Amino acid sequence: MSRSASLAAERLRSTSSARRARERALEICAWASLVLALVPLVAIGIFLIGQGVRSLSLEFFTSDPPGDLSATGGGIRNAVVGTLMMTGLATLVAVPVGIALAVFSREIGGRVAAAVRFVVDVLAGLPSIVVGIFVYSLVVVATGHFSGYAGAVALAVIELPVIVVATDELLRLTDRRIDEGTRALGMLRWRSFLSVFIPTALSGIITGIMLAVSRAIGETAPLIFTALGNNFFTLDLNEPVQAMPLLIYRNALNSAFPAARDRAMGTALVLVVIVLGFNLAGRWIARRARPADQR
Amino acid sequence: MTPGSHAGGIRTLARRPGLSQDGWFRLALRGVALLVIVPILWMMVDTFSVTVPVWERFGIPGFVVGARWAPSFTIYGALPFIYGTILTSAIAMLIAVPVAVLIALLITEILPARARTAVAVTVDLLAAIPSVVYGLWGLLVLVPFLRPFEQAVAGTLGTVIPFLAGPTPGPSYFAAGVVVSIMIVPIIAALSREVFAATPRLQREAVRALGGTRWDVIRTVVLPIGRSGVLAAIILGLARAIGETIAVTMVIGNAPKIGASIFSPGFTLASVIANEFNEANQELHPEALIALGLVLLVISVLVNGLAILIRGRFARGVGRVA
Repeated sequence: MSRSASLAAERLRSTSSARRARERALEICAWASLVLALVPLVAIGIFLIGQGVRSLSLEFFTSDPPGDLSATGGGIRNAVVGTLMMTGLATLVAVPVGIALAVFSREIGGRVAAAVRFVVDVLAGLPSIVVGIFVYSLVVVATGHFSGYAGAVALAVIELPVIVVATDELLRLTDRRIDEGTRALGMLRWRSFLSVFIPTALSGIITGIMLAVSRAIGETAPLIFTALGNNFFTLDLNEPVQAMPLLIYRNALNSAFPAARDRAMGTALVLVVIVLGFNLAGRWIARRARPADQR
Repeated sequence: MTPGSHAGGIRTLARRPGLSQDGWFRLALRGVALLVIVPILWMMVDTFSVTVPVWERFGIPGFVVGARWAPSFTIYGALPFIYGTILTSAIAMLIAVPVAVLIALLITEILPARARTAVAVTVDLLAAIPSVVYGLWGLLVLVPFLRPFEQAVAGTLGTVIPFLAGPTPGPSYFAAGVVVSIMIVPIIAALSREVFAATPRLQREAVRALGGTRWDVIRTVVLPIGRSGVLAAIILGLARAIGETIAVTMVIGNAPKIGASIFSPGFTLASVIANEFNEANQELHPEALIALGLVLLVISVLVNGLAILIRGRFARGVGRVA
């Protein structure tokens, strides 16, 4: 500490007006950066609301898109249902597995836990398109066709590291006194996790889940190789299934047609509202759970 | 007595009556771990085995540095896409790094405590917007918006430097770099913010007590201590930039060759896979695209590993000075 303090003293010998000017310059640059970063956020907001709202109607949610992208009319029912089914199934799988993996690497350790940690680290850093390729060669090639199940597996693999990391972080923060308390009471370890540690960390885990879901809902790249997309309404996950990001992507590539362009923007608006909803809800839960002085 | 040995002693006491139940608990956890890890590792090996014909035909160096990608002639080389990935990531980093670090400094060092969370959450929202929405906005709004600027640069600097020359069709390496920069600002800003916030308070106060300005605090305390942490944040941002797929696919122009100028259309590793995979019906074409995915996998594992190493060093460094 004394080293940087004395360094600072040495460097403070410049005149005060020059120092004030530097202070100003720093503030101006920092504020300018913030404005620069928020311009796209505002621009996207204006773009989506200004152009996307036009497409919204009851029909937009209750009918399926026309077979020909350039034709007007129709809606995005199949994509909304497909996204909900695949993300829902992925979350149902990824949540218990992710929590179990985190508990495993905290509680048991050893070589398998090191392997788990390594694989989770790799998954967390993997571009989602690579996840798509993996699941393609594991599920699509093996079953011989694109399917909603393959899409759900890809989304689960994307959610998994987010949930493991969030749970692991919380278990690590569990108060040592609580841990020792459960041991002093002679509690079985599985009981300690099920009725003490996980409930204590629950709001944080829920936040992790919400953030994982908000990421998975918006993913496009891994679905190209797995769920593929579909112009028809289906509840059968064994068939190719449409999703909102896929629908936006395919229609945007045909945005020379006004109908495709409007459909893409309307869907984007709906998707962003859903994603931000999950994201903000997750943050809100995390904030509420923290003690008031740390908010 | 260390806490560990204390807890361990109690555990041996508790274990006697509950051995079987906790034994089952451990067994179940092990089972789940193996059930997840084995298929994921299998998936990676399996993916590699699909691409074996590509490696056999072109050799690993031949494929990686091959400059020509012509599916109809069964010629596959990854170089145009590696080039595109490096160029767009470099453009994105040049724009995003200073902006993100300054935002992090603004939040931790300049803003009053009450405003910090609000600003931080707003910046974080940029990270929540799906990639495909950035792509849509980039395609319909940003690309046309950037064109006059591109034309101005190509018409002046571009006449001297071929790397900045026209034509400027719109979708390009440059447009992709700009879109990606917007997407990685919140990542680098959030991670740098945590690094800066971890600066020991005593050191800041020491500089302030000597009459230092906030700039002096940043220059003599926050940046030197946070250097490796910010570097790790930047590298994690780079990893995201390298893997960004759909938004890039929508604004890069999709041309499978090395463009001469940053305003030329091109492809990145990730975007060529997304763009060509569903129509890949030439000999070895799907296998070659999957091989590109493996190249991307290797690059992103290396970059992420580097970030984890550097972050570990930062955590130890803070532990020492604090």
